[in-house]
Amino acid sequence: MTNKQEHGGSGLAQETGELKMMSRATYFREALLRNIFMLCAIVAVAAVALIFVFVGVRGWPVVDDPGIVAFLTGTEWSSTYGEFGILPLVSGTLVVTLGALLLGAPLAIGTAVFLSEIASPRMRSIVRPAVEMLAGVPSVVFGFFGLVIIRPVVADLTGSMGFGPLTAALILAVMIVPTIATLTEDALRSVAPGIRHASYAMGATTWQTIYKVLIPAAKIGIIDATILGMGRAIGETMAVVMVAGNAPQFFSGLGEPVATLTSQIVIDMSYASGTHRTALFGLAVILFLISMGLVGLVRSLARLERRS
Amino acid sequence: MSKWANRVAVTLLWICGLLTVGALAAVIVYVFIRGVGQLNLDFILSAPRGVNAEGGIGPTIVATIYVTGLAMLIVTPIAVLAAVYLAEYAVQGKLVTVIRFAADTLSSVPSIVMGLFGFAFFVEAMDLGFSVLSGALALSFLMLPIVMRTTEEAIRAVPRYIRWGSYGLGASKWQTVSKIVLPSAMPRILTGLILAMGRAVGETAVVIFTMGQAINLPISPLDSGRSMTVHLYTLAMEGINMDAAYGTALLLMIMVLLFNLSARWLARRKGRFEE
Amino acid sequence: MLLGSVVLPGCGGSGGAREQVIVSGSTTLLPIAEVSAEMFGEENPTVSVLVSGMGSSAGIENVASGSSDIGTSSRELKDEEAALGLTDTVVAYDAIAVIVNPSNPVRDLTIEQVRAIFAGEITNWSEVGGPDLDIGVVNRDEASGTREAFKKIIMGDTRFYKGAVVLPGTGQVRAVVADVEGAIGYISLGFVTDEVAAVAIDDVMPSEEAVVNGSYTIQRTLHFFTREEVSTATQAYIDFVLSDEVQETIVREAGFIPITAKQDGSD
Repeated sequence: MTNKQEHGGSGLAQETGELKMMSRATYFREALLRNIFMLCAIVAVAAVALIFVFVGVRGWPVVDDPGIVAFLTGTEWSSTYGEFGILPLVSGTLVVTLGALLLGAPLAIGTAVFLSEIASPRMRSIVRPAVEMLAGVPSVVFGFFGLVIIRPVVADLTGSMGFGPLTAALILAVMIVPTIATLTEDALRSVAPGIRHASYAMGATTWQTIYKVLIPAAKIGIIDATILGMGRAIGETMAVVMVAGNAPQFFSGLGEPVATLTSQIVIDMSYASGTHRTALFGLAVILFLISMGLVGLVRSLARLERRS
Repeated sequence: MSKWANRVAVTLLWICGLLTVGALAAVIVYVFIRGVGQLNLDFILSAPRGVNAEGGIGPTIVATIYVTGLAMLIVTPIAVLAAVYLAEYAVQGKLVTVIRFAADTLSSVPSIVMGLFGFAFFVEAMDLGFSVLSGALALSFLMLPIVMRTTEEAIRAVPRYIRWGSYGLGASKWQTVSKIVLPSAMPRILTGLILAMGRAVGETAVVIFTMGQAINLPISPLDSGRSMTVHLYTLAMEGINMDAAYGTALLLMIMVLLFNLSARWLARRKGRFEE
Repeated sequence: MLLGSVVLPGCGGSGGAREQVIVSGSTTLLPIAEVSAEMFGEENPTVSVLVSGMGSSAGIENVASGSSDIGTSSRELKDEEAALGLTDTVVAYDAIAVIVNPSNPVRDLTIEQVRAIFAGEITNWSEVGGPDLDIGVVNRDEASGTREAFKKIIMGDTRFYKGAVVLPGTGQVRAVVADVEGAIGYISLGFVTDEVAAVAIDDVMPSEEAVVNGSYTIQRTLHFFTREEVSTATQAYIDFVLSDEVQETIVREAGFIPITAKQDGSD
């Protein structure tokens, strides 16, 4: 549609012989360029397909050995004894992610509300860059920080060695704050200012406005932000390896070591061979499916919002 | 009653904001204090030597810059042109939906999965081995959706009337895009590129499985190397030379902060046609 | 945890006529391999020896598959690996020290007690003559040759305690044991410092003499594995590492026991 409008000129040019030649050449060139650009965009699709295929193919043998049921429901992950059940790892991921969300989401949403509703322009000019820079800190640096600072503190608190879900959740919480905060702030900002004015005009306090009016209005955006933060926490690897303790066992205490789907891959990959390696690729497939599922969830929620 | 609740709530929210700043400050300050003693010309330029990796981290800095630069070189043309397509040429429909879903999925793929993919595809299947090239290709997959998104936003930010003026003068679509829209969006596009570079510099899981881990000064793109992030991870895990670890962490933070700050500075400059 | 060496394509290596010797494998062997690689590189400028370390198992796999020239290992070949046709060169001896926090008064354990602790059967220091304190077991990752050797000598068929913290690095184990009062771990004798206390096994403290005369049971050999055919540069590097010059200085400095110390070299 748009193209034809853009090329409104060529309609006129039909009449003049000379211009007609140029228009056609231009038309072909434009079409060629358009297709080149389209191919570039399709690269994204090809990339996803490629990743899925390659990782999937390398992980597929897991269906035979140790068998899809044993893989998905097994409670022991121990390569020395040929056991590859993912449940301890799934539980590790769940516990660590939940902890990160419990600690990080309120902090992030609070920060976003602060930025959007309460902070003076001067405060805003300090806090917002801080959030953005926090997003840029490499995960190994966070893991490093967790290892040298947080772990001893948690060790004292729990009387254990300090490697475990608590330390991991603390570090992950800080790491997902930028993700959740920026998206929440966007959601809050897109609420029409008139709504705020109306609320204040009726005598509501700031908190009442936030709590009863703004957050419900931005509800979907906040949920989206939290889901994406969850995705980030699930997919985080390096920081977790450095502080979680890497023991594939079910949750046994805040200071007792656990392993996640991501950390197990990194720890094992260097020496894994045969069945072990395919099992690791199997883990990668599961992670890929989880992240794709979360994206789908966010997109459906966005569609729901557009309809209402 | 509600006044009291309000005061408590506002205080809590203030605490949230300050905590976030505090977290950033804590990380930066701690790394700075423990690492600043390490920073001298020798540390930056020379290679690690000796039993405890004394000496410097020069090769890792080179490896990091090399792989990031190569990745940006690979990804920028494709991502920018893809964004041009989505912003200027594409028509809402099944294809666009699929592309957007793919881009979203790509951007949410955990980096460890990308690393394994890079290993299976570039290192083994394409037989590139552990090399800067494998690392750059894997990183470019990671960067693609990010640059696509920021470039598309940059293009969409260019006001419509500029395009109308151009078409009104008889320019073709491509002429309009290349001579008017893109230059106008350039500062924002560059900002997005710089932010993506900052992200690439901080990557570990992808690079470990594609560029390798040997301390080597990569010269050709087929050489392997160890990036600063991998070096930091190795040092931290081995726990033998924590001073070098802090120094590496500090240099890494400085690099990332530099990228971040230049992106912000660039974002403040106005493009052509903005008032 | 971390992948190792380079697959060198035929062409496209770094510029110049420098030959490369790729060495990868055990983290325990890193000090010896890296320092001697440096010294070797100074004496032979046309050769560059690239060393990396992320586990004996990775080292063995890499040399067998051709990705590296030398696979360093702090353990023997497993049964499955014996068929790979690798040549074994012993480069040093090592003792694995069981370490505890310096504030822990326990300084002597029997092999059975060590096994029970690392299997999770004994969970409190009071059960072995120490204070009433929970035992924090620190284990190495499965790629580690040190873990393999420890498992073979101490654990046998008994499984490691599942709830042990798994750390992928010697220094990490040492740092945690130095920091946590109730912790116990095992590292190569060469890495023991004042931060931790080594424990006597069946009344024998780990030391060079104890290894040489065989009274300290937790000992092992450190290996360079190679394929049958090696390049001249690779062989030159190996000979260099076996030379008295390297053995008496670098190997000793790194805290290991040179091959010259033992009368008969096999173990």
